[in-house]
Amino acid sequence: MVKSRLFFSQQLTHRPAWLLMLVLILGVWAAATMGAVTITWSDWLAILQGDDEPLSGGAYVLWHLRLPRILFAVMIGAALALSGALTQGLFRNPLADPGLLGVTSGAACAAALTIVLLAGSGIEVPVALRYWLLPAAAFAGAVAVCFILDSVARWLTADSIAGLLLTGIALNALAAAVIGLCTYLATDEQLRSLTFWTLGSLAGANWALTTALLVALILAFWALRRLTHTMNALALGEAAAAHVGVNVRALRVRVIMLVAVLCGFAVAWCGMIGFIGLVAPHIVRLLVGPDQRRLAPLAMLVGAILLLLADTAARTVAIPAEIPVGIFTALLGAPFFLILLARMRRGS
Amino acid sequence: MSHSHTSATELLLFNQVTVALGKRQFGPFTLSIQPGEQVAILGPSGAGKSTLLKLLARELTPASGQAQFEQRSLHDWSLAELSRRRAILPQSHEVAFGLPVDLVIGLGRVARTYDPQLSSIVQQAAEQACAAHLLGRRFDTLSGGEKARVQMARVFAQLWDVEQGLLLVDEPLAALDPGLQFSLMEAIYTFASKRGHAILAILHDINQALQGFERLIFIKHGAMVGDYQTPHVTLPLLEALYEVRLASAVTDTGEVIVAPSLKQKISA
Repeated sequence: MVKSRLFFSQQLTHRPAWLLMLVLILGVWAAATMGAVTITWSDWLAILQGDDEPLSGGAYVLWHLRLPRILFAVMIGAALALSGALTQGLFRNPLADPGLLGVTSGAACAAALTIVLLAGSGIEVPVALRYWLLPAAAFAGAVAVCFILDSVARWLTADSIAGLLLTGIALNALAAAVIGLCTYLATDEQLRSLTFWTLGSLAGANWALTTALLVALILAFWALRRLTHTMNALALGEAAAAHVGVNVRALRVRVIMLVAVLCGFAVAWCGMIGFIGLVAPHIVRLLVGPDQRRLAPLAMLVGAILLLLADTAARTVAIPAEIPVGIFTALLGAPFFLILLARMRRGS
Repeated sequence: MSHSHTSATELLLFNQVTVALGKRQFGPFTLSIQPGEQVAILGPSGAGKSTLLKLLARELTPASGQAQFEQRSLHDWSLAELSRRRAILPQSHEVAFGLPVDLVIGLGRVARTYDPQLSSIVQQAAEQACAAHLLGRRFDTLSGGEKARVQMARVFAQLWDVEQGLLLVDEPLAALDPGLQFSLMEAIYTFASKRGHAILAILHDINQALQGFERLIFIKHGAMVGDYQTPHVTLPLLEALYEVRLASAVTDTGEVIVAPSLKQKISA
């Protein structure tokens, strides 16, 4: 029967959620032990005891390098997956993904412009402010692309995913051109941070960023509590959603803002990491069905697991060198996307 | 019945409402619907029936004129408030993502923040719409007729515990087989008359309108061209509306059946 008034958090207590949670915890532990430096049980003990003495050896690596990076990967994965789930719900289409639609490249484009133009203008920006300046710029870029997409989606015939994806291609190309221009204008030092956007990397992780991201995710989770069920109504179509009492315009704006914040944060700090937002909600839909109340939180878990997997591979496959994580998510995601297309064709 | 008395009990009142879509002008529409009334909207394709329904549903904003629902301007209502007084059965039935049928029916009540009766109402609404056997299935695996039933159950759930509301229906049954059309129309009558809901339905089937509705509104060229109690509707009125020659016959049970008699149009 209908599980009527299930609260959002209660959804997490269902069986798949526990399983995914367990996988994630095991994954975090496994990832922490993998890498150039071997981690022993005594290293775990050392960081758990939290002595005043400075950490040394394996414990230092674990606390200052590996754990923040792993938790960062987990949370970025959750953020990307959530923004994917929300985008798909908003555009009523399983192929809508912030990466394919150009939202992430819009964010990267704005961030790249900020880097180059700020240097060009000669203003000195304190490092502490940089953490927030780039996310702010990336957020603005993501919002701009989202609103362009939204108006295009309304302007085109309803539910025209082809038009939406083509607009995404155009926006992606435009963003790539601007990023290319920035690369051309950039100094050597800027170039290093610019290449970072196009490939995506979690190497910049530290505890400050991880904490900030945690706060952002908790706020997003809070905002979701009531949003998810009204988003289910969007599946009826815009007109019918309004008929059953959903203020569609307000809902769209809220979802877009949420997607833009999540993408903006992710892009500003990790560059463009593709396909997590596409793949994670799909896996969850196969597991528990399309109810947004369950889809959104579980997609966050799956996204976390996927990005942790990809980042651990990126760190450990070619020790001591590090392969950009975007390569692994693309290796994982591109075939998945093709399979999805094939399935949709069969289904229609 | 005096005029002041009628205006006090009106469910829906349109006064000289117009709207422009692109270059086309629609209206002026002037009509009032009483609680519990059963009204059919008839007219040729493209005449503006759906536009009128969208105005009534508040999907479109009038360019001029007054639109009132329960003595309050239609645009002063919040969407959530409105959803607890009127429901719309749409023409198309698609739902994205293959949501489960139970969830789709329950979405009729999404605007209610506290709804302890939800699951029992979903069950009863499904039974009323001949869709109880579809509970537990995915919406996208259903046939056209089954989808129509589920959408109808969703609309029933929306107004299940409401009295004297309004049910707007946009020719939802046109594509279904005659037997199903009949049983679903019966379900709508039963549901609405039990609660005193008014029905306002766009229909393509003249006979359905003549037999099931007490009042007919004619729409042509984007405007209202007639508003009749059903017994006053004559064959020439219908012929002028559709610009086609009609013939009528009386069945052995006494019902009047109307059908096109010739393909050629009436000249002038």
